[in-house]
Amino acid sequence: MTTQLKTPRTMLDKSFVAFILIAISALTIFPLVWLVLTSLRERNTIFNGPFIPARITFKAYPNAWNSIDFGLHFANSAWITTATVVGVLVFSTLAGYAFAKLRFPFKNLIYVILLVTLMMPATALIIPLYLQLKALGLLNTQVGLIMLYVSGSAPFAMFLMRAFFETLPDELMQAARIDGAGEFAIFWRVILPLARPGIAVVVIFQFLSTWNEFIYANTVLQNTGSLPLQPVLFSLMGQYQTNWPMLTAGLTMSIVPVILVYVWMQRQFVAGLTLGAVKN
Amino acid sequence: MTALRVVRARFARRERRRAGSSLWRLHRSESIAGYTFLLPTVVFFALFVGWPILFAIGLSFTSWSGFGAATFTGSANYTRMFNDPVAQRAFVVTILFAVATTVLGTVIPLVVAVLVNFVWKGLSVVVRTILFIPAVVSFVVSGVLWNLIYDPNIGTLNRTLKAIGLGHFAQQWLSNPTTVLPSIIVVALWGALGLNMLIFFAGIQGIDPTYYEAAQIDGASGMQQFFYITIPGLRIVTAIVVALNLMNGFKVFDIIYVMTGGGPSHASDVFGTYLYGLAFGSTSGSIPQLGYASAFSVVVMMLCGLAVFFQIGLARRANR
Repeated sequence: MTTQLKTPRTMLDKSFVAFILIAISALTIFPLVWLVLTSLRERNTIFNGPFIPARITFKAYPNAWNSIDFGLHFANSAWITTATVVGVLVFSTLAGYAFAKLRFPFKNLIYVILLVTLMMPATALIIPLYLQLKALGLLNTQVGLIMLYVSGSAPFAMFLMRAFFETLPDELMQAARIDGAGEFAIFWRVILPLARPGIAVVVIFQFLSTWNEFIYANTVLQNTGSLPLQPVLFSLMGQYQTNWPMLTAGLTMSIVPVILVYVWMQRQFVAGLTLGAVKN
Repeated sequence: MTALRVVRARFARRERRRAGSSLWRLHRSESIAGYTFLLPTVVFFALFVGWPILFAIGLSFTSWSGFGAATFTGSANYTRMFNDPVAQRAFVVTILFAVATTVLGTVIPLVVAVLVNFVWKGLSVVVRTILFIPAVVSFVVSGVLWNLIYDPNIGTLNRTLKAIGLGHFAQQWLSNPTTVLPSIIVVALWGALGLNMLIFFAGIQGIDPTYYEAAQIDGASGMQQFFYITIPGLRIVTAIVVALNLMNGFKVFDIIYVMTGGGPSHASDVFGTYLYGLAFGSTSGSIPQLGYASAFSVVVMMLCGLAVFFQIGLARRANR
């Protein structure tokens, strides 16, 4: 293999493949580059003018921020996402640990029932959930929305955490039991501190999916003031159909957190992906 | 290692000493802990997943506008579905969308993953990072963004086509019934390429490199290696990707709702958007049709169930 790698023929092949990949990457990233560039244009140059704007202006950003109350909706998104991530973490670490390491009757049956619903699409449940929240008096509240998010996401996170806890040796708990620790103390003091990599994976996945969620937020919440970003961005499309710099400035601001989290925690992300996919 | 053995021995001695009743007590406390740890998940699950599923199934046999009492109508909603031209169209569009995104969303990422595996490490990392970025962007953002690109008058796509002399291909991409679905499928593939490619890439890394070395010694070409080593080696991974794609295809909602709302005149309506319109929107008049919409929920659930069985079947065959 090593002798083959060094031949000029292989170098040529590699250069050719590299060229194709660079072209694919450029094409893939183009729409997002275009998004940012459009937000930096003068409003009257979006229809003509070169691809890279001749004059750059940041005017659209304060405009978008003020006219759609961006700060408020950004804060709503941040709060809803944080609460959901915390809720999912509590539920999924407890349940994932129980399924991975504790023995009790009907364990597998409960596990299968929880997992079967992993594939339930949001649209299939939206009607009964809407009625359920209405019956509980939680319609049009952020708490109700968070409860939907937590219950809908906990099974997948639990599945990831279980896969992670299974990699920890049983002797850890046995040793703690001999020392007389209670089951919760074992979980809290011994297991959880070791579960950081697994927790990181759950946090990233949950953050991205909650921040980006649209249909439940759009259906459950009706007061403009309590809306997170996604439904607001959706309504922008009709409102500012011709003011592209402002529209694209709003979109750009909304993706800054997800891009940052992705770039910052990329390694854990890929690890989680393989953990999830391989265990599937 | 020795530490573990010491602990294990200590534990075994302890177990033996206790024997009988206290061992049983240990097990019982473990059971209680197990159920306690599961309690929050199970309660929330019952309230917001389990019960709603049953409720949707029940509702699908009724006629209800959300006010007053629901009237039991038996299977009327299901027979209505068979005679509803919009529902039939939505069925065809859902299947078309799912099949197209599954086939293209499996083949393209597989090829790209092989290419990424072939080039230098540094470039491979950069390409993987870039290709995944669309996956972290929400469907609302990508839907609005692509709407601007597809805009018939000032959109980048038509302007580019005109600039390079292909102006006659310029289209009303999203308001032409024949181009609307392919246009949306492109966006879906754009969003999913990075994720599926990464899954394949991880799978390729898991193939024993000695197979390739042996093949090269025997003089196998790159194509032969791809078809006789890479593809068979990725059977399980492919089953996962196919099933994920199928499920995502059957339950598609956000991207279509944002880009076209199911239009023009239902040309891009899928089950998800149609049922949402029936229940919350203004698809057919102003009265919400919760019973009829729930019948579509049940069908979507069954399609996704089908995809899961498909995956289990594929995985079983691949394991053999």
